[in-house]
Amino acid sequence: MRRGARAALLIGWLLALAGLGWMVSQRLHVSTDLRSFMPAPTTPDQRLLMEQVGEGPGSRLLLLAIHGQSDAKLAALSQGLAAALKKDSRYSQVLNGSFDLGALDERLLPYRYLLSPTLDTQPLDEVYLADQLQQRLDDLSSPAASLLKGLLPRDPTLEVLQLAERWAPAKSPQLREGVWFSPQDEALLLVQTAAAGFDPGAQQQSIDGIRQAFAALPGSAGATLEPSGPGYFSVVAAAQTRQQADWIGRISTAGFIALLLLAYRSFSSLLLSALPIASAALAGIAALTLAFPEVHGITLAFGFTLLGVAQEYPIRVLSHRRAGEDALASVRTLWPLLLTAIASACIAYLAFYASGVNGLKQLALFTIVGLLVAGCSTRYLLPHLLPRRVHDVADMRWLIRARTFVDRLPRPRWIPVAVAAAIVAMLALARAPLWQDNLAALTPLPADLLQRDARLRQALGAPDVRYLLVLEAPSAQGVLELSERLQPQVDALLARRAADALELPSRYLPSVAVQRARQARLPDRATLQRALDQALQGLPFRADLFQPFVDDVQAARTLPPLTPERYAQTPLGQRLAAMLVPRDGHWLGLGTISGVHDLAALQALGADTHGAVRLLDLKAASESLVVDYRTRILQALAAAALLLVLTIALALRSLRRAWHVLAPMTLATFLVLAVERVAGVEISLFHLVALILAGGLGLHYALFFERDTGDAAEQRRTLHATIVCVLSALLVFGMLAWATIPVLRAIGLTVSLGVAFHFCLSILMAPHARQD
Amino acid sequence: MLDRPLVVSGELSWLGGDRLQRRVEHPQQETSTIADGEVTQQREGRSPRHFSLKRAPQLQVLLDSFVALLGGDAARLQQAFEVRQEGDARGAWTLTLVPRDARVAKTVASIRIDGYANASRCMHLQEADGDLAVDLLGPLAARMPAEPTREALQALCQSTP
Repeated sequence: MRRGARAALLIGWLLALAGLGWMVSQRLHVSTDLRSFMPAPTTPDQRLLMEQVGEGPGSRLLLLAIHGQSDAKLAALSQGLAAALKKDSRYSQVLNGSFDLGALDERLLPYRYLLSPTLDTQPLDEVYLADQLQQRLDDLSSPAASLLKGLLPRDPTLEVLQLAERWAPAKSPQLREGVWFSPQDEALLLVQTAAAGFDPGAQQQSIDGIRQAFAALPGSAGATLEPSGPGYFSVVAAAQTRQQADWIGRISTAGFIALLLLAYRSFSSLLLSALPIASAALAGIAALTLAFPEVHGITLAFGFTLLGVAQEYPIRVLSHRRAGEDALASVRTLWPLLLTAIASACIAYLAFYASGVNGLKQLALFTIVGLLVAGCSTRYLLPHLLPRRVHDVADMRWLIRARTFVDRLPRPRWIPVAVAAAIVAMLALARAPLWQDNLAALTPLPADLLQRDARLRQALGAPDVRYLLVLEAPSAQGVLELSERLQPQVDALLARRAADALELPSRYLPSVAVQRARQARLPDRATLQRALDQALQGLPFRADLFQPFVDDVQAARTLPPLTPERYAQTPLGQRLAAMLVPRDGHWLGLGTISGVHDLAALQALGADTHGAVRLLDLKAASESLVVDYRTRILQALAAAALLLVLTIALALRSLRRAWHVLAPMTLATFLVLAVERVAGVEISLFHLVALILAGGLGLHYALFFERDTGDAAEQRRTLHATIVCVLSALLVFGMLAWATIPVLRAIGLTVSLGVAFHFCLSILMAPHARQD
Repeated sequence: MLDRPLVVSGELSWLGGDRLQRRVEHPQQETSTIADGEVTQQREGRSPRHFSLKRAPQLQVLLDSFVALLGGDAARLQQAFEVRQEGDARGAWTLTLVPRDARVAKTVASIRIDGYANASRCMHLQEADGDLAVDLLGPLAARMPAEPTREALQALCQSTP
């Protein structure tokens, strides 16, 4: 190709990349919700789990502790922060222990007679009113006078206080200076975020908002704010993983560049060989933005890892060039093998697409498009740009020696048998559990964070994130009625200390039936006025003082009962909304539980309700979900393996040759599994993904080693290319194996081991060397 | 709010530190304790009621003035109140305390203490909404009229023992 044409091609390619980059920057929406990376739930419990993981009342709760100042200053900060957050729509509930009459909306105040259970047992008659008024009189002469004085005319029976007490957390922390304090002298706050708990991006914004509001408070400089809770943990885990992946990525990228420079001693070759990878990544993302409204962050992270296979394509081309030969000519001889490798990898990733998990589908699309683009651009574009003069790697002295050494290695026929026997022995010996089903174990949090969370959770009486009592009924009212019927049983359980607290939805809103019954019990204006007048006799209250009270009771008699929809606009209504959720024409009530002591008693709660009431163990549900997930991936992999055998056999047109390619690859894959099992590693989904990546790389090694060119120089080039590939993979993934985050370590360790085993086995089992 | 004044009798004792106890014997038995920033109210036959001192600024003021007066802590008194003194330290005197904290001043306008020589005789707590609480202290407590008026109490407090 002429110089001018080369320049035009290069510019055209770069322009195309720039265009793709522009399109990606316009269309790409990265989502961070971890749920899109979980499999589609099948059982009702799993579906509930998926919702609860994000939207559940427990998982959206942030626990805040402020310390480092005097009690009085901390209390002022707590009040200031609560006031600021209550105005912010990112938070649906803010509690700091300060008694808040505003919890019940001004317009809803007359509803107190429908919400409070006081009047269920106690009519508003003369006897009751007289007793209450006498008590209020005592209150006025007591230290509580200034507290209650304002309430008195409208609410002489202090119904509002009854409700406030009823809605206060069952087990409140110590009150000091009017706000909650932990025994460790920290001011405590509970904040419920509007954002889903396991959406680290949205949680990050919620936590940033809290920190900003805190920093803006006067006097906050000397105090420290420490958040805790599931949302905060997801932020910490995401940040930790990103941080480690970043520094490891920087080091291994530098090493990778140094390695390629050393191997090919050409800057222009290095830069040009980056073009197929860049094209692959951009085209992959562009395809994702076209096919999906949002692209998951994990898809991108994993996708770039899996695209590591594509870096082999240009390396093969660079290593296999002969002195004086056109790059195009060397690519043509390599292409059948490369095409086989690309096709096989694409087939393997198709298995991901079939898994039905949204995140994995994205991953499959990204990788398949990426590999195809990388392969085609390596075949059809890159050779035209590569420099014409190169030095042939086949003449390098160390390579000649290396090839001689490799050729002299003994290759007894029993190697596969021996390796297989070793694998079986190791798998049989391994004692550790085979599978790691606990998702949390993969992004572990620092122990001190967990301890602090447990301490704060206990101090605040905050609900457990693990258990939920699920109430199911055809309508929201049905759930509330069920919840009311259940309340006596729950009270009995709590009295027996089966749990520290169990909050049912009806605690915040009685059913319409109960509200109507309470309404029916309210006296009419004349009756109430008569009772009040008689009760007031002999008491020093002004005669017309309680007019607002009489008016409120009258208003309450004709109010339409409070429904969840009408209630939803108030702060407490939002609390209820988290506990009352619609589902496929059904309604679910979610009871939050704190401090479980007797699990069996809680499970027995719904024994005779035919599933209308049941205890949901979110941890068990999440584990069953992971098991389903893995089963699907394994099934997909089995299908992919069959397809792979067919593809290789067809491509090589020989079952015997296919065996020589597939046997080392299969053995090496199982060898990695066996070694990790013996070392006590529990296999997670990430190990499976890493095994597939290593398998893809191993397939390349085996394919190229199997190729019989009958040309010693070409064999040396094959060795050169494979060594460069192995070293670069070891460099990148070996670094990851040192990470402290289990997800990264799982991928790094598995791929490194895999690459090493694949390399050794495909050399030792290469057929023709033995025939020499 | 009330047509006639409310009269209670009992004992107010300083338990040392920031702790104050108020025991009412008439008309209804009741014990209130202020300790560690919390007020506990115990009434016969009922479960105790707790609330934070922060929510009853009136009590905070009462506590501050009492503890400072009884403990002879002039600095603390000066810190919480603007102090105005009139009269003769050996004869009849009046101490007027105006809260410095604007939030407190919204509920408690001022406290006036009438005394004679080294004994306090009356404490007037003027609330911002016009209500007035008068405490007759020491020997004067026994001389509380059955149907007190502001004027009668005023005269009683400023009388010579």
